[in-house]
Amino acid sequence: MNNAWEDARKTCGSAVCALAREDERIVLLSADSGKSSGFGDFMKSDPSRYFEFGIMEQAATGIASGLATTGKIPVFCAIAPFVTARNFEMFRNDIGYMRQNVKIIGRNGGITYSDLGATHHSLDDFAIIRMIPGVVLLFPQDPNEIRAACKAMIDHVGPVYMRVGNGKIPNFLPEQDFVIGKGRRLASGSDLTLISTGPLSYAAIEAAEQLRAGGLSVDHIALPTVYPLDRELILSSAARTGKVAVVEEHYVYGGLGTMVSDLLAAELPTRVLKLGIPHDYATSGPYDEILKAYGLDAASIAASLAAFCGR
Amino acid sequence: MEQKQLLSLKAEAARCRLNVLRMLAASGHGHVGGAFSAMDIVTALYFYKMHVDARDPKMADRDRFLLSAGHKCLVQYAVLAEKGFFPKEILDTYGSLGAKIPGHPDMHKLPGVEANTGALGHGLSIAVGMALSLRMDHPASRVYVVMGDGELAEGSNWEAAAAAAHYGLDNLVAFVDFNGLQISGPVQEIMNFTPIEEHFAAFGWAVKCIDGNDMEQIVDTLDQLPLTVGKPTMIVAKTVKAKGLSFGEGRVDFHFWNTDPERLAQAESELNAQLAQYREEWEALS
Repeated sequence: MNNAWEDARKTCGSAVCALAREDERIVLLSADSGKSSGFGDFMKSDPSRYFEFGIMEQAATGIASGLATTGKIPVFCAIAPFVTARNFEMFRNDIGYMRQNVKIIGRNGGITYSDLGATHHSLDDFAIIRMIPGVVLLFPQDPNEIRAACKAMIDHVGPVYMRVGNGKIPNFLPEQDFVIGKGRRLASGSDLTLISTGPLSYAAIEAAEQLRAGGLSVDHIALPTVYPLDRELILSSAARTGKVAVVEEHYVYGGLGTMVSDLLAAELPTRVLKLGIPHDYATSGPYDEILKAYGLDAASIAASLAAFCGR
Repeated sequence: MEQKQLLSLKAEAARCRLNVLRMLAASGHGHVGGAFSAMDIVTALYFYKMHVDARDPKMADRDRFLLSAGHKCLVQYAVLAEKGFFPKEILDTYGSLGAKIPGHPDMHKLPGVEANTGALGHGLSIAVGMALSLRMDHPASRVYVVMGDGELAEGSNWEAAAAAAHYGLDNLVAFVDFNGLQISGPVQEIMNFTPIEEHFAAFGWAVKCIDGNDMEQIVDTLDQLPLTVGKPTMIVAKTVKAKGLSFGEGRVDFHFWNTDPERLAQAESELNAQLAQYREEWEALS
């Protein structure tokens, strides 16, 4: 853990390029977004494996599938809503139904395109991509984990959607290999299970520490694999605490909170608090201020969790 | 081309049309109009042009065939069966639960199917991806895609058309099966994309217009590929909806046919008579 702050999308782009240099099956696809996705050096060093399509996310998704049918490993990175919502049918049919080994990276995900407004936010990507059978959903939490997740994404044979944010985020977790489908226990506790994903885990850690100082013992589980869920980790923690809260940069409907709720409703009925963005077109402005406006800063999360626990 | 070879190809097309009738008999319905209009093109591709091997359907340097207008799947199943990719008994399962030959093709169920098409406006994009990759690893391989005329209204086709020309994919050959009729009526009344050839030429494609039910014209065109080095090829094939179904030719209500035994028997009898005639002509040439 070096606590250094690094740009999320550049970290991701550099990691993908490093992997592509080692594996000639990897080809990179861009929708007028190569440099912004961190592919700038690769497009110069390996132009034969870099494909620019301009602002063309629908066809580019099908093209990625066609490339994959021949054994290539296409990595298509562009702005998150445009590689999930706009091209949904191509993602579902050409990648999902055709079971092609394509990796889609939605960058500037969540509300990290903050002041650009709701057209550029992706608060439904987990909900809609999770509906495509066989697709793995990743949302790594810090730069080191982004690098590890990129490797796991390439090693995994099958379609993957990975969301990364924008701007600088801190390294706040011990470095380790990324295992798809496995969560990480960030802190052990017995009063409340707190589940988080993505860089928002940083605020969740701070919230948990504040609660701990107030005498509330939090079992903090991070799920950088949003789907498939780490069922065992969730159920064993919920069985111990009896209360679960989920914090995510996604609509409170359809995302990780909903998936956790579905699991618990079926296997271990448990009260669940879902913290996220309300089901509306999110406001625009500075990223930190949007998070605060929706109660997703550390202090607000702590207050919500305390109230949930009757404190 | 030798007349005998031409007659053989025509006979293959008639046999494949009979295979379609076999599937229609099994299910009682199907998209016959587009399957029959595209039949001569697909037959020529598989029996004259394409580098494929039914015993090794995944060989790396094979040519690829995609049926972007996946609802015409009866043509694909009929030709693949005739070519030996799977036993003809499978044709009798059309329309049944869990059939390997569903109403739109599924690459994971049947050898020889390269993509899961059916939602329109997908095939050309997938074909562009295949052509980009094959150009790197197997430069002699080509990708053939058959599109419907009605599906040209899907905008994703024009994204893919631009990408194919931008990347100079002369190993990509597309046909528009221009039978002029979609489910609601004449294509030009519903959403007019004519002149199709000028649209694609403007996008940077090499274009040729042919009679897509004339085997000699199809074969002559296939002999000229690529039409222009450095450009993808578009063959606008003017066809007749339900070509070969005497009572259905050029009729929009035969886009999808709910069959009846009498007419199926009539169609079968007419196609068998056509086959016999080809045989006589072939023997006369011997």
